[in-house]
Parts: sequence; structure tokens; C-alpha cells
Amino acid sequence: MAGSGGKVVAVVKPIFSRDLSQAKRRVRELYRAWYREVPNAVRQYLLNISVKQGRDKVREMFMKNAHVTDPRVIDLLVIKGKMELQETTRAWKQPTHVMRFFHETETPQPKDFLSKFYAGHDP
Amino acid sequence: MLRLPVIRKAFAGVTQSTKGCVRTTTTAASNLIEVFVDGQPILVEPGTTVLQACEKVGIQIPRFCYHDRLSVAGNCRMCLVEIEKAPKPVAACAMPVMKGWNILTNSEKSKKAREGVMEFLLANHPLDCPICDQGGECDLQDQSMVFGSDRSRFLEGKRAVEDKNIGPLVKTIMTRCIQCTRCIRFASEIAGVDDLGTTGRGNEMQVGTYVEKMFMSELSGNIIDICPVGALTSKPYAFTARPWETRKTESIDVLDAVGSNIVVSTRTGEVMRILPRLHEDINEEWISDKTRFAYDGLKRQRLTQPMIKNEEGLFAYASWEDALTRVAGELQRVQGNDAAAIAGGLVDAEALVALKDLLNRINSDTLCTEEVFPSAGAGTDLRSNYLLNTKIAGVEEADVLLLVGTNPRFEAPLFNAKIRKSWLHNELQVALVGSAVDLTYTYDHLGDSPQILQDIASGKHSFTKVLNQARKPMVVVGSAALQRSDGAAIHAIVSTIAQNARAKSGVDTDWKVMNILHRVASQVAALDLGFKPGVDAIRKNPPKLLYLLGADAGCITRKDLPKDCIIIYQGHHGDVGAPMADIILPGAAYTEKSATYVNTEGRAQQTKVAVTPPDMAREDWKIIRAISELTGVTLPYDDLFQIRNRLEEVSPNLVRYDHVEQANYFSQANELSKLQVGNQRFLADPLVPPQLTVRDFYMTDPISRASQTMAKCVKAVIEGAQAVEEPSFC
Amino acid sequence: MEVGAEYLRFIRRVLRQVRDHGGLREAMQHQLRIKNFKTGALIGVDKYGNKYYENKIYPFGQHRWVVYTAEMNGKSAGSEMYGTTVPPEWHRWLHSMTDESPTTHPPVARKFIQKNHKLNPTATPEQYVPYSTTRKKIQEWVPPTTASK
Repeated sequence: MAGSGGKVVAVVKPIFSRDLSQAKRRVRELYRAWYREVPNAVRQYLLNISVKQGRDKVREMFMKNAHVTDPRVIDLLVIKGKMELQETTRAWKQPTHVMRFFHETETPQPKDFLSKFYAGHDP
Repeated sequence: MLRLPVIRKAFAGVTQSTKGCVRTTTTAASNLIEVFVDGQPILVEPGTTVLQACEKVGIQIPRFCYHDRLSVAGNCRMCLVEIEKAPKPVAACAMPVMKGWNILTNSEKSKKAREGVMEFLLANHPLDCPICDQGGECDLQDQSMVFGSDRSRFLEGKRAVEDKNIGPLVKTIMTRCIQCTRCIRFASEIAGVDDLGTTGRGNEMQVGTYVEKMFMSELSGNIIDICPVGALTSKPYAFTARPWETRKTESIDVLDAVGSNIVVSTRTGEVMRILPRLHEDINEEWISDKTRFAYDGLKRQRLTQPMIKNEEGLFAYASWEDALTRVAGELQRVQGNDAAAIAGGLVDAEALVALKDLLNRINSDTLCTEEVFPSAGAGTDLRSNYLLNTKIAGVEEADVLLLVGTNPRFEAPLFNAKIRKSWLHNELQVALVGSAVDLTYTYDHLGDSPQILQDIASGKHSFTKVLNQARKPMVVVGSAALQRSDGAAIHAIVSTIAQNARAKSGVDTDWKVMNILHRVASQVAALDLGFKPGVDAIRKNPPKLLYLLGADAGCITRKDLPKDCIIIYQGHHGDVGAPMADIILPGAAYTEKSATYVNTEGRAQQTKVAVTPPDMAREDWKIIRAISELTGVTLPYDDLFQIRNRLEEVSPNLVRYDHVEQANYFSQANELSKLQVGNQRFLADPLVPPQLTVRDFYMTDPISRASQTMAKCVKAVIEGAQAVEEPSFC
Repeated sequence: MEVGAEYLRFIRRVLRQVRDHGGLREAMQHQLRIKNFKTGALIGVDKYGNKYYENKIYPFGQHRWVVYTAEMNGKSAGSEMYGTTVPPEWHRWLHSMTDESPTTHPPVARKFIQKNHKLNPTATPEQYVPYSTTRKKIQEWVPPTTASK
């Protein structure tokens, strides 16, 4: 960072994966687990969505982080994904928590001046 | 642009402070004497008191009667400290230091003295802290915790004193009084009203007004602040909130043109009280009663929802969408100067610039202010023509002051307090042309005819000599004097007097003589932004659409306008302007918006949001911005920063907060006015300021007119304090 | 044989109940409206037209019933309003708080007892709506009620 322009190679302690391929393997494992879990979740929580919609959402959530290349970051994301999965499979959630991935009941924040003005004092 | 005053000053390296210009005298370093505070050496000027010397090294001596801005009384004895090798402890507030003294602020003897004094004070002080309004901000409470004894030896009965009714603003519980006499000294020194005093001796001593009467001063609320105990508390604030549960917002007062700095205390989205904030160059630490007590007007008569007048001529509540669409439709219908706008006295600079931009985009330039100001000569083109150029603090340096057609005591109470301070400490000589009024200090009354001004200007009057011999003369003309039909001539002649005094008395070139004292907070900002003063343009050329931005003085009525004229009123109170409008848009009052105001000396200051605007009311510039979008001429600012950039574009001084931009070109302004005004005749009418007695002071704007406290004050002034007496609870 | 006698007794009871109702048509109408087939002694009729019956051959709890009036105080008591048409004195008897029916033991006249029993106004415009009694923080401007312009 000292302005030399040279790349500083920081030796960091890996979380789980030593390199990207290992991290990718973990991601694939998590994805597979989620893929299998979706039909159970739809049945267990009596969700008003099809299995296809659920799997699309899983794919969307994974693709949202497709740009991440740091194995440490990927590992952390995988940990978080596993936590979500565990909470879902063990029914620590309510249906509303699962459906929160779909943002059905959220009203978008007003963006332009006029809708902010109509919405309230200081949105 | 750096808007933070501290940072800007640091960069510019400018010192503009005129702090302490009254009492400080420059002393050569050799004159300083050395004293020791707890063994710590410090150099002080001769005549410094022990207490001030301790303050200099950062040690606070406990005190009750001593106050920075009042004379020294030395009667509470709380500030006793030990001096090494002195036989007795001395009262630090009254004792000047001698060379080589070692002041022991924390010695056994000092502590014992304090504990003893505190025991005596508490012997006759009631133990009603839980129901006392001073609780939490009480000097006696705090200091007894720090310096008092932890047990009582007092078994006798306590003294009780009858409460006094001194008006609807200050509540007295005289049993709590510890006879520090701060209120008495404030009344006679700062307020200039010798109403308060003591009767009796020893245990029988009481503070009061001798005979039961109202404490009639426009600064009376300040005795609440300086009272160290709960003897004098605020009547409207009684039993409403505790200081630790309120949220404090540092803001600016807009009820007069002085721009006093205030702290707005709020709780649960409600303004609970208003207190002064220190600003040495404006209000020191005082505020006027209107500033302090008119806040209940913010909770009454408020416009909270948009309204549209229906076919039957009755107002019906509407949504913002409907109201704004209707306004936009009307604006699209008119073009050019068929649309006009009037800005009132409480409007902020942001709303003013937004309104001006909006009307300019539909090719109209008829933007007026309610306050009249002569536009002949240089008019409002030169800033020096409409500012209090010497600045409020400048009066402390002046030695001769000529007041023209003004009553500063009620038009700008804090400015008057500064004049009085200068009169008291600097032997300021004051003269007045206009109605003879009680200004709390003596002055030469030169008469009330404008002809006298002519005599002074031409040198026929004896006062010309006084002005010419002055070291630092000042001429202050009230804005009311300039609102007569011969206002231009008065402005011209005052400008000539000022110019003559400046030339003949040989003052420094940077000393300004000519001053205008405004009465409303928005006027200077409006003139800076290029609003036309006065509504003559609208009377001569009646528009088809009139936009009233907080215009509540009633200078334009329905009769002045064509029948089909659409009136839009935007403001925060249903006062004079709202009932005659077709569409009402609810705006925000000064405690509810972050807004820029420029005071009469040209100092830009900002108010801060203390509470949100009630119900559907919105910040004023946002309403205009929303209208512009619906009209199809979207204004290019979406947030406060962008609109302040726009303000800076138009007039950079508006965003240089707490900085006074100097104005100049006095001689050129004078030449221009001489050229254009020529020898316009004066009217024979005397110069009468609009506020003659304290009765006229309380209700001058929509907020104070809505205030019940202010109404009570007026009633008490007319009928006596008994008329508004309320049952007391304790 | 025993079973045949049982059937016979049942048919006889049905027939008697039909007769008590006053014919097959009335019996069917009663079935449709009250949704039971019970018959019993008419104990009383209140001033609103509710009829109160009792028949002790039914188990306790089913032995008293009411046939509701069609309208009350000039208002049609819709099907969801039936329950509230019963005045308090009959309510006591109907719910077996007492065996003395108001026809034989009329309630003691008290000045706080309302003269006319009212239907429950819930979910109607007359319903009670709780309102805040705290002080308003902001008092709004009330526009003038006289027309201008």
C-alpha cells in the first residue's frame, strides 16, 4: 500500500480451502445439498411455490456471488450458506423466513424526489 | 466551499471576533504579576480577581452570586478559598490578587469553609428537589453534592417566604431563594429595569418587587437562566419536562432580525422550551422573551394538511398529489408576469431561492417581499444599503449613536442590550430622532420630525458637531422609517449624514457608520437573492396567480387582485394569508427544518431540525421543488446540499455560516441616492416606530400571534399581572 | 323383535313432533330455520316476539331453546344477530341460571335497566370505537366555515 505500485503478496491463513479449486468444490457440494433440499423444504413449510421456482432462487443466490474469487471469502460464504441450509432443514425457520428470499412483501424504497416527497418527511 | 466556520477561519487565518472589546485593555507583559494556584505559577493582569486567576489555570471555584456578565456582589460566600499565610479565607470573586499569592483551592480550610457555607445555605432551603423544576440543572443541587456535608445537624424549622406574582412568564417560589441577588443585578444592569430589589435584613431578607407588580422587561426570561436555584423558573415550562430527558438542538431564532442563537429542547416530538446559546457577537447569553416563550405558538393554529377551496368557497382537505397537481396546472396556465409571489417574514433562504427559480422558469420576475424598502438610488443593489454594517457587536466600540425612527428595545431587544452595555461601560452617547420611547438608557431626544434629519445633514443642527467630533459614530435607521412613502428620501438623508460623519470625524476607512435595523428574519436573505422589496409591483400590475410564501402581514388582500386570481398560500400557520388562499400547502416552521437565515448584520446562520413538521407538512423548498417537477420545469436540486450549492451560486455569503460578509461602496450609494432621489420632500408626519411600548412587542408574527403565552403577556401588560394569575400547585 | 319396537317408537315420536309443529310443511320450515326438530311447551313470548320453549325429555343443556324473532326494534335481525335479540331476563332463564321464567316472575323494575333491549351494534356504524383521550401535540388550524369568494 506504500504507493510503490508493486503487488503486495500477503500470506494469509486459509479458512478451509488452500486454493480456488478446493473452494469451488465446497461451493459445488453446498449447491448440491441445497438442490436436494428444495423439494423437502417446499413440502415441509407448505410453501406456495413450485420446486422449479425454489431451485431457480437457489441458483440466483449462488450466482449473486459468482464474481468472488478469494478462497477465504468463498469459504465464509459457504459457511453462511451451510448455516442457512441447516436452519432450513431442521425447521428452525418459519415459512415466512424462507419466503423472505423472494422479497414478495417488500415495498421498494422511493428513489426519485417526488415519490420521496409523497412518502414522508425524510425517507 | 468550506461551510464549517471553524475550519474556514482556520484556513483563512482571519480573526473576526470582537470578544470582550469592552473591558479588556492591552497590557504590556511587564505589568503582569505572578500568582500561584495550588503552587502552579500563572501571570495575570493586575486587578484580576482570585476567581478569574483560578479560572485561567482551569480550576473552577464554586459560586452562586458571581456571574461573568454582572457586577460582583460577593454575598453568597461560596467562593471562599484559602490564601497561603492569610489569616482568613477570602471571597475569591471579589478579591483582587496580589503579587506572589499562593491560592489554595483544595486545602482543608477551603473545603471546610465551603462546607460551612453550604450548611448555612441549606438550613433555609426547602428539600423539594423532586418537585422542583430546577432539578437536574440546579447549581445548589450540584454543588451540595460536591462540596456539601453528607449529614445534617439542622433540627430547627425552616424559613418560608411568600411567592410573588411577577407576570405570566416567570414563576417564583421564593422559599427556595438563596439571596444571591443575580436577578436584581441582571434587572438593573442588563435589562435596565430597576424593578427587583431586596427588603429586610438577615433571616428576613427577601427578593421581590417591593409592591406587587409585573417584572416588565423584554429580557425578563433570562433571570430564569441565571437563577442558581429553583426560585425563578419558567411558568409555561412548569412541571413539563426534566432537563435530562429532553433532546437539545442548537438552532437560530427567527422571530426578530437579530438571529439569536438558541437551543431547542424537545421531548417526544414536541418543543418543550427554548434556551439561549452563547454567541458573543450577537446575543451573548441572553434571549428576548418572545424568542424564549413564543414556542407554544408552534403547536397551535398549524397547517397540517394541504387544502383546496371547493366550489362553495370552503376549504377541503386534499392529498399532496391533488394539491400539487392543481398548483402545477394553475402555473402552467399562466405565463410571464401573470404569476407573482410574495415572501413573508419567516421564510428561509432555501425556499426563497427555490421560489425565485421556479417563477423565473415560467418567465415571471414579480417576486416581492412583504417588508418595504426604498428602491430609489442604488436601492437594494448595494448590500451596504440594507445591512447593519457596523455589526451588532460593533456598537460596543462606538462612542456616538444616532437612532432614526426606531425603537430597538422592541425591534431588536438584544441589540438594545448591547447598546445599553456600551452606554454603561463605554459612555456611549445616544441620540434619537423619532418618537420618544423608553430605551432603558438616557439619550438626547432630538425631535420626531424628519426635517431634523435635514438639519443634521446640512450642519444646521447642533448634533452635527457631536457627530463630527465622534471617534466612532454610528447611525442606525429603523426599517419602519424607510417604509413610509418618503422612505427613499429618509434613506438618502441618513446616508448623507453617515457619509458626512465619516468624512468629518476622520474615522478609519473600515469603520462603517450607516446601519439599517431590520425587523424580520427573512428580509436580508430575500434582498441578497434579488427579491423586490414591497408589493407595489403587484398592486400596479395585478397577477392572475399569486404565490404567498408565508406572507402573513396582509399587505395584499383579495380586493387588490382580479376576481379570477388564484392565490396559493404556503406556510406553517393559519393566520392572515391562509384564509384568503385557494390552495393551502403546509410548510415547516423554523424548528422543523434545516434552513438558512441571514440576520440584519448580514450574518448567515442555519436552523436545525429539532422536531419533524407536523402531519403532512413538508420543508418549504421541497414543496416548491415538487411543484416545479409537476409543472414541467424541474429545478436542478434534490437535496439540501444541492440547493445550498445553488444558494452559493447566487450569493456566496448565504452559505458562509456565522461569517459576516462586509459590504461597502457607501459613498457611491450616497451619490446614487442623491442623484435619483434629489430633493424629494419629506412628509410632515413624525417618525413613529411601530412598536412603542412592551405591549406591541409580544405579538408580531404568525408564531407569536398563535402563542397563548404571548397573549397572556399582552393581557398582563394591559390589565395587570393579577389578570392572568393561575392556581399554583406548590 | 326388539329392534322393530324401537323403530316403531321412533316413527311415532317423529309423527307426533310433526303434528306438534302443525303439519309437515311447518315442520320442514322449522327444520330449515332452527336446524332441529325439537318440540316442547311454549313457556313464554317476550315483547320482541322471541318464543321460548322447554322440553325436559332432552338432556340438560338442550332442554330450553328459543325461536328468534325476525325483526327487532324495526330492524331486521339478520342471521348473525339472532343471539343478541334475547333480553337479559330471558337470557337468565335460557341459560339455566334460574328456573323461574320471566312470565311468572317478571324482573324487578330498576331505573338503570334499559326500556328496550338493543341489538349488539358491533360491526355496524353505531358501534363503539375507542378514541384517544391524550392531549393533541399539535392543534391544527380550522378553516373558516363561512364561504368566501
